[in-house]
Amino acid sequence: MENLLSNPAVHAGVAPFIAALIVVLLLQHTRLGGLAVVAAFCTAVYFVAGFTFTPLTVTRKIILLGFAAPIIGVLADFAFKPTRIGAAVLALCGAAGALWAFWPVLAQKPAVEAWLLGISTVVAIAFMVGFALLYLTGDSVRAGAAGLGLGLATGLAAILGASGSYGSYGIALGAAAGAFLLPQMIAGKKGFAGATFTLSVTLTAGLVAAGAMILAKLAWYTLLVLALVPVGACLPVPQKAPVWLQAVLLSLYSFIIGGAACALAWRFPDGITG
Amino acid sequence: MTKLAIGLIALTLPLAAAAQVESYNIDPYHTVPYWETDHVGFATMRGRFDKPTGKFSIDRAAKTGTLEIVIQTATLSTGDPERDGRARTRDEHLRTPDFFNVTEFPTLTYRSTGVKFKGDDPEVVEGNMTLLGVTKPVSLRILRWKCGPDPRTAGKRYQCGGNATGTFKRSDFGMKFGLPTAIGDEVTVWMSFYGFRT
Repeated sequence: MENLLSNPAVHAGVAPFIAALIVVLLLQHTRLGGLAVVAAFCTAVYFVAGFTFTPLTVTRKIILLGFAAPIIGVLADFAFKPTRIGAAVLALCGAAGALWAFWPVLAQKPAVEAWLLGISTVVAIAFMVGFALLYLTGDSVRAGAAGLGLGLATGLAAILGASGSYGSYGIALGAAAGAFLLPQMIAGKKGFAGATFTLSVTLTAGLVAAGAMILAKLAWYTLLVLALVPVGACLPVPQKAPVWLQAVLLSLYSFIIGGAACALAWRFPDGITG
Repeated sequence: MTKLAIGLIALTLPLAAAAQVESYNIDPYHTVPYWETDHVGFATMRGRFDKPTGKFSIDRAAKTGTLEIVIQTATLSTGDPERDGRARTRDEHLRTPDFFNVTEFPTLTYRSTGVKFKGDDPEVVEGNMTLLGVTKPVSLRILRWKCGPDPRTAGKRYQCGGNATGTFKRSDFGMKFGLPTAIGDEVTVWMSFYGFRT
């Protein structure tokens, strides 16, 4: 049992998936199934780093923002109607959160590098969050597929960018999205994603990927390609196709874009941070 | 006349006492902190930091001393700097937030809080190490210690040199990646050191 619990695959994949699946099964009828993301993320944090927040490092700020995202998502789902302005405001809040997390490190870097990394971070996170809130919140299968592709690609790209812990967080997000999709695929019925799911998965994945870029070796252009993963989940699929087939096709689209990001991280790893 | 003599003695006494405190600047080229830890339960892996800076002082009469070392964490090396077709090297991995997080925490510092002597020589340095923004007590045992004229300068420069060792748990400093089985928690430090008297 001890060996099992010390296995990185359990930390990043199996345990977060189980935690997320339990949350989805318990809450899927209450519009709170998206809390699966934070359940999986919490599980990975517990195994990888623990819940220590002093000193408040960049990684710990990312974790705090990952915990805050579902709270804001729930508020957005229950208190406000989804609007373009609301999506834009949350996207800007996500970008501001990223600057709060990364500013102390960016400020130490040479100006050109700091600007490139900072702009890449802000653009990628604002785009991911804004796009997902605009186009994915209303379709839980598309949102789930985007989260699956984005999480797994972020995790793999972070590992290629030399950070195993950030890789674990990314894979845990992918596992959460997988757990979110699975009951829908089995039941053949779509659920509810809302901002609870989409904001949580895109903001956290974006922060993890940006962290792998600023603190490890992930190149800035890999982050920008990762930001396009949610777009893949908006590509057309047969509307009358069964839910499981839609989920498979949309996940495939996400994997293709995510795979391109990982291929960049593998073949051209030396960004400006190198 | 007697008063003048007493006054002069009184004036020179503190100077004589101060003269017993010898100050040294650390030689960055011959002071090399190595560290080692268990790797997946099979072997012990070693790494080192290059060109640390700092100073130490010693007062043999009062049996006191101080030590301050600053290490640039980005200088770490385990002998794996080239990718050779891999996505990353071990040294690159060690520089990420999984381990030393060198971008966010570019320095590792050690500051003594006390020195224990055995005879005329320092034996144990008690102090605080700051790693990853966390400060914890770490002791360094002096394994070897010698002071004298530097033969490389025909005795013009006076130096002290030796070796020191200590251990700490990296998890105490928040470095938890690879625990409990992949990478060992206990880290042993072994260093050669030299200081030139100022």
